[in-house]
Amino acid sequence: MSVRVGLLARSAIAAVIVAAAAVLPGAFATAAPQEEMNVQDQPGYQPTPEEEQLTGAFEKQEVFFRTPEKPGTIIIDTKSRFLYLVQPDNRALRYGIGVGRDGFQWSGLERIARKQEWPDWRPPPEMIERQPYLPRFMAGGPGNPLGARAMYLGATVYRIHGTNQPQTIGHAVSSGCFRLVNDDVIDLYDRVPVGTKVIIKQAVAL
Amino acid sequence: MRIAGRGGALALAGLFAVFAAGCGETPPPAVTAAPSVAPDMLVGKWGLASYHKDADRDRTVKEARAQCNKPYVITKGTNGGVMMNLADQATPSELVLKAGKDGQTFLGPPGDAGTADDRIVMNADGNSFTTVWVDPDNAGRYGTMVYERCGKRAA
Repeated sequence: MSVRVGLLARSAIAAVIVAAAAVLPGAFATAAPQEEMNVQDQPGYQPTPEEEQLTGAFEKQEVFFRTPEKPGTIIIDTKSRFLYLVQPDNRALRYGIGVGRDGFQWSGLERIARKQEWPDWRPPPEMIERQPYLPRFMAGGPGNPLGARAMYLGATVYRIHGTNQPQTIGHAVSSGCFRLVNDDVIDLYDRVPVGTKVIIKQAVAL
Repeated sequence: MRIAGRGGALALAGLFAVFAAGCGETPPPAVTAAPSVAPDMLVGKWGLASYHKDADRDRTVKEARAQCNKPYVITKGTNGGVMMNLADQATPSELVLKAGKDGQTFLGPPGDAGTADDRIVMNADGNSFTTVWVDPDNAGRYGTMVYERCGKRAA
């Protein structure tokens, strides 16, 4: 009798898991870590609306997300290339992101120190070395590699920002910043105030 | 009357000959003024910045002046031009100043003025100049590029 109950219990649990997966699309989905992408900034490039539309796991979506952190906290999972904005009731808004390439990845705890719309871009010295024709300063606007919004992380040089290269979402491309497509970064920007806690982890266990 | 008639005919014939000669010849090339910008005005070290919206011009000029720790260097070429980078080209090439038909000054590879590789040079006064790429794709990507002279500025 106890064996049969045990079997029934295991079947019930399995059924619940399957049902949960059906009800919470994407909650258990994980994006396979992508290869590092070797792509240079394309200052001035303006993607088409079709290029900017993400699909699958990297499309912005609400997911099941259990964490002791308060709603309004940002948690970044660099291994899976997701940014979570914690919501009440074990939920989160999940955004697909591009992260730092090998050697430029980091983890830590920061707060959003300031925010900027259509931020200006100053290419780093090593980039100017490779591409000497680049302007040393480009005023913000469409085509600017930082995209539509930037949220600066503490006193670091890192930002959460938009991008004019939507194909880099899900990849390790940057010098340490976290990039979202412009629609997503505008959405996130409007939801989070200065002072928002940002936790950067290599991997996030749900 | 006979003399006047013959003289008149001769005159007419001469006039006709002149016209006939003129009709068969290639008209002389239109005279284009020399470009108003001299290569020496572009040689030197420059703070380089760019903008897309006119409202950003003033602050972009200010930013360009602050970029002399990473100057863009323009040197003289060996054929009367200047050494600069074409769009997306890491290696500089010799570019020449060319006068356009409507008084514009173009900077680009030797040849016709206003080709896709050219940029229009504006507001050049020896201490600064502005360029806009002729090719719409380049213009869209790089915007209006502002060059502000580093170091001692010309009087």
